[in-house]
Amino acid sequence: MLLRRSDLPLSNDPAVRILPWVVGLMVYLATLILAVALLVSTLAADWSAGLTGTVTIHIAAIDDETDAELDRRVDEAIRIALKTPGIDSARAVPAEQVAALLVPWLGEEAPVAGLPLPRIVDVQLARDASPDIAGLKARLEAAVPGAGLDDHQLWRDRLVDFLFAIEIVAGVMVVLIGATTVTVVIFATRSGLAVHNEVIEVLHLIGARDEYVAHQFQSNALKLGLKGGIAGSAAGLLTLFAIRYTAANLDIELFPAFLFDVWQWPALISVPLVAALIVRISARYTVLRALRRMP
Amino acid sequence: MALSGALAHGFHTFRRSVRTRVLVTNATNNVVRFENVGMRYGAGPEVLRDVTFTLPSASFHFLTGPSGAGKSSLLRLMYLANRPSRGIVSLFGKDVSKIQRNALPELRRNIGVVFQNFRLLDHQSVFDNVALPLRVAGGKESQIRKHVSELLQWVGLEDSLDDRPSTLSGGEQQRVAIARAVIGRPRLLLADEPTGNVDDAIAVRLLYLFEELNRMGTSVVIATHNEALVSRFKHRQLHLDEGGIEYRQNGADC
Repeated sequence: MLLRRSDLPLSNDPAVRILPWVVGLMVYLATLILAVALLVSTLAADWSAGLTGTVTIHIAAIDDETDAELDRRVDEAIRIALKTPGIDSARAVPAEQVAALLVPWLGEEAPVAGLPLPRIVDVQLARDASPDIAGLKARLEAAVPGAGLDDHQLWRDRLVDFLFAIEIVAGVMVVLIGATTVTVVIFATRSGLAVHNEVIEVLHLIGARDEYVAHQFQSNALKLGLKGGIAGSAAGLLTLFAIRYTAANLDIELFPAFLFDVWQWPALISVPLVAALIVRISARYTVLRALRRMP
Repeated sequence: MALSGALAHGFHTFRRSVRTRVLVTNATNNVVRFENVGMRYGAGPEVLRDVTFTLPSASFHFLTGPSGAGKSSLLRLMYLANRPSRGIVSLFGKDVSKIQRNALPELRRNIGVVFQNFRLLDHQSVFDNVALPLRVAGGKESQIRKHVSELLQWVGLEDSLDDRPSTLSGGEQQRVAIARAVIGRPRLLLADEPTGNVDDAIAVRLLYLFEELNRMGTSVVIATHNEALVSRFKHRQLHLDEGGIEYRQNGADC
C-alpha cells in the first residue's frame, strides 16, 4: 500500500504537509470521544443491571421515635413485601451501610451518625416475575407510616435516555470529525492535483493509467495519515491515562472506574488505522474523480 | 560526447531490441488516419477544419505551417491529449472515439511524444525521466535499468544519468526528451517543434536521430516552422494553413 518511489514530488506540497497535523488532531478528538462513549456504554450497562430486578422500600425516621419502634416498622415492611407474590427476598440495609452511601457526598469526617437517616429495605424480585408493585406500594403506605417504595423505573428510564443521548452526541461528533477529515483531504488532494497538473498530464500522455497516478496520491496520503493518526492516538491515550490517574486519586465512588473492557481497547487503538484508511480512500476517490475529466 | 559519435557507439545494441517491434508495425498499413476531422477548444472557433490524411507505417513526415495554423492541435489529437469535435481519428487501425477510456493508456504507450519545451520532470534525474514510460507500463526494474542505460548511451548522455534536467543544456534536454519518447519503442513518434530551442547544428543532428528511429520502423511526424530544415531533408510534408491540410512533396521523396 505504501510506495517507495513517487513520480510526483508530493512531499513538498504545503497543503499535504498540514495533513498529519489535521489527522493527528482529529484522531486525538475521536479517541477521547470514543472513550467517553465506551465508558458511558459500560456505565449504562452496569447501572441498569444493578437496578433491574430490585425495588427499594424506604422508611423515613419520625421525630422522637426510638430505634426499637423504627425496627418494628422495618420488620412490618419486610413482612408485607415477602407476602407479595413474585418477591424473592427482602432485607433491611444496615444503618452503617446507609450512612456509608452518604460518604461520597458529605466526606469521611461528616457527623453522619447524628442524622435522622431513613431505613432502607432492599427487595429482590423473583427471576422473570412481574409482582404487583403498585399494590405493594399501596399496602406499605397504608400499613407502615412514613414508608415509600421506589422501583427505580423513572430514574432508570431517565438515566438510559441521558446516556443514550450522550452516545448519540458522541457518534455525531465522530461522524463530524470524519467528515472534516475527508473534506481536508479532498482539498489537500485537489491542491496537489493543481500544483502537479503538468506532471500528471505528462504521466497521462505517456500511458499512465488513472490508478497509477491515484496510487501515488493515496500512498502518500496513507503515509501522512498514519503518521498523524498514530501521534494523535498516542496523545489521546496519554490523556485518558492522565484522566484515569486523576480520577483514581479523587477517590470518588460514583465516578466511573475509567477502565475499558478487553473488547474496547481494539476499538480505541483502531482509530488511527481507520482514520488513515479514510484519508487514503478520500485521496484516491478525489484523484480518480478528477482524472476522469481528462480525455 | 558528440551526438553522431554517440549514435555510432550505442546504436547497434538498441536496434537489436527494436527489430521485433518493426515486424509488428508492418502488420498495420496506416498508423494514423484522419477523416474530415474538426477541432475546437471549448466554444471557440474551429482550429482544424475537415482535416483528412493518412500516415503509412514507417513513414516520415514534417508537419509544417505558419504559427497558429493548428500544428500543435493536430499533434494533440494524434497523441490523444484531445478529442476531435467531429470526424474520425484512427490510430493503428482503431477508431479512437470507439475505444473505451480505460483502453487509451495502452494505446498511448505506442505513441512517443517529444513535447514542445520538453516537459521533463525536473524533480527527477535524467535516468528516471527516461525510465518513466517503462515504469508507467509496469516494467521490471532490472530491465528498465538495462534499457535506459543503453538508450542514454545511444543519445550520448551516459555521463548524465543522475543529473537533473535543469542542469543540462538545451540540446541535452532535447535528447533526454527524445530518449523518453522512444524508450517504449513506440510505433508512432510525434515531435512538436523539437528544434525550436537549439541551434542549427544540433537541429540537424536531431533530425538524423529521428531518421535513425524511422529506419527502425517508427513512423515519425515532426511539427516545425523551420522551412530551411525541412528543405534540407527529403521527406513528405503535411502543410497546415488556416485549419486545413494539404500534402506537399519535398525533394527526392516526391
